[in-house]
Amino acid sequence: MPLGPPSSAVFIQNTAPGFISTPGRPPTSVTVHPVALFSILDHYLRRTDAQERVIGTLLGTRSDNGEVEVRSAFAVLHSETEVQVAVDMEYHRTMYDLHHKVNPKEVIVGWYSTGSNLNTYSALIQNFYSQETAPHQAIHLALNTGVEEGQKAGVQAYVGSPVGVNPKPENCVFVPIPCELRFNDAERSGLDLLTSNLSDSVNATFTNPSSDLELLERSLVSVYEMLDRVLSYVQSVLSGEVKGDAAIGRYLMDALGPSTEDLERGEFNSHLQDTLTVSYLANLVRSQAEVSARLALVKAS
Amino acid sequence: MAAATSMAAALAASLPAPQAAPAPSAPTYEAIPASMAKVIDIEAEIPITSVQLDAIVVSKITKHAKEAPGSSAHGLLLGLDLDGTLEVWNSFALPHHSNDDDDKSAKGVARYQSSMLRSLKEVQADDSVIGFYQGMTLGSFFNQTLVDTQAIHQERLRHGGVVIVHDISQTARGNASFRAFRLTKAFLDAYKRHNFSTSSLIDHRLTFSTILEEVPLKIRTNALVSSFLGALSEATPSTTTQSSPALATSSAAIPPSYSRLNLGTGNTARNLEMVVEALDNYKTEEGNLAYLQRQIARERAKAEAYVAKRKEENATRIAAGLAPLPEEDVSRLFKIPPEPSRLESMLLLGRIDAYGKSLEETASTGLVKMYAAKANAGN
Repeated sequence: MPLGPPSSAVFIQNTAPGFISTPGRPPTSVTVHPVALFSILDHYLRRTDAQERVIGTLLGTRSDNGEVEVRSAFAVLHSETEVQVAVDMEYHRTMYDLHHKVNPKEVIVGWYSTGSNLNTYSALIQNFYSQETAPHQAIHLALNTGVEEGQKAGVQAYVGSPVGVNPKPENCVFVPIPCELRFNDAERSGLDLLTSNLSDSVNATFTNPSSDLELLERSLVSVYEMLDRVLSYVQSVLSGEVKGDAAIGRYLMDALGPSTEDLERGEFNSHLQDTLTVSYLANLVRSQAEVSARLALVKAS
Repeated sequence: MAAATSMAAALAASLPAPQAAPAPSAPTYEAIPASMAKVIDIEAEIPITSVQLDAIVVSKITKHAKEAPGSSAHGLLLGLDLDGTLEVWNSFALPHHSNDDDDKSAKGVARYQSSMLRSLKEVQADDSVIGFYQGMTLGSFFNQTLVDTQAIHQERLRHGGVVIVHDISQTARGNASFRAFRLTKAFLDAYKRHNFSTSSLIDHRLTFSTILEEVPLKIRTNALVSSFLGALSEATPSTTTQSSPALATSSAAIPPSYSRLNLGTGNTARNLEMVVEALDNYKTEEGNLAYLQRQIARERAKAEAYVAKRKEENATRIAAGLAPLPEEDVSRLFKIPPEPSRLESMLLLGRIDAYGKSLEETASTGLVKMYAAKANAGN
């Protein structure tokens, strides 16, 4: 899932299978977990009025083929004036140690900043972080919050590479690398919970956790709607209104065609019986526990 | 005399008149205006009626629970209470400590906590602890540590803390579950007295279902996050839309997932195992309790027999005309062991009930899914 508006950047990287990245080479792609995104947004919300953009450290893991996975992020104190930029290294160290205690697998992989302007200060900070992540290169995540006019919300990832005749730390060009949002099952459920009310503009801010059955109902309703759409399309093709696309037709046949008759006879019924047994057993266990608890209250006198 | 006074007066006149020390301005007490009374609640008078979680807390707890080994994910919640709603704005994880080195690990955790709070304060994040969270699998959150921690929090924190319980297995199935609990007053009372004998249970009417009371919970996504997520999940129009609008696909960053429609057995086997295990534990516990009760009964019988014998002896002695023997304090001779605590068995029952409940839920959704699949194929 791409993060952010499509850009015209051509990504030059080596993603052939079997490519093992040595420590000195730049990372080839970045995947971001939702936790890091939310932390960054939260930090942006909490900034003082004086700061235009906030920066912080990214933690994550690196894989063998040059892919960097950003798992979490924390904010770092920094101050930026016309003349100089200062980053609180002590604070950065302390927070990293604390985070490392909870999650020893995560290491510093780079830094983030809100606002997508890359200036000299960014280059300096990139240099500082590259020293932290040595021998690997640090990645820079520029998150645009979409708050300002004319800028779309999105995330872009960059790697710094030196440019120019003199290898000074300020001379650095930021090379974009592809960046994706990735989540596993658990985070997926969390995200579903958060985005379930996005379309409903009245209640957009609040969602209630719902039970399993309610969620199942929603999934079934959406499948039903999809079937409706497919049905109307097929009917319009049959009546000649719309020219049918052969590929779509074949795909539909593959998806909906095969019947599950033989599968059904054998295991289906036994599975059904198993499920019913489990349900009955669960109810029995619960009532037993309840009775037992009440019995303890009866005083034998 | 007059000269003296005049001299004194002259002297006094020459000295700068002592300035009356400015009276320290008495602190002016202004009443909090009624409109703000609900928000500025200094005495913690407004009771908590609901809990509100921020989006970032949801994702942090989910991530930590997934990565922690076993079901040991726990951490602290930070936030503030506003007008009867406990708002949780941030959270952080606590390192998992083994139970071997209790002293050192407890101090280590305390140090971690204070250090983290200090660091968070520097970046203008919140640093007021309002509770803790715990990850668990298949419903097994009734354990001693949870009760202990919550009791401590409830005493020390303003409004008492809440514990947010997150079910990892239910989340893996597709339904991120968060529930907020508090200890009931009755239970807290009994806990403070460390008395969980039968009589105290009856007095407080304690069963496993009355240990914790659930507080309604809702999730809040602030405007920035929701606009960001909205921008990510909005459908980008694809080229096929022009030809067949009926087949418009959404290539959103967060496409809808249908993992809930899986027909698998899920965790049923594991769940059943845990039910059996909990039942075994309960049986052992009940056995122990019965044994202790029998011992108590035996000791008591012995003591009473002794008292009765003493009385009889005294009666015979009085009849014989001798002085009666003193009735010794029986409690010093026979040590009657105290009534055993039934807390553990109550917690076990609660766990059994919770396992049964999660079994029920998986079975019910499984049934619905099976009938849906049957309807499709059986036509």
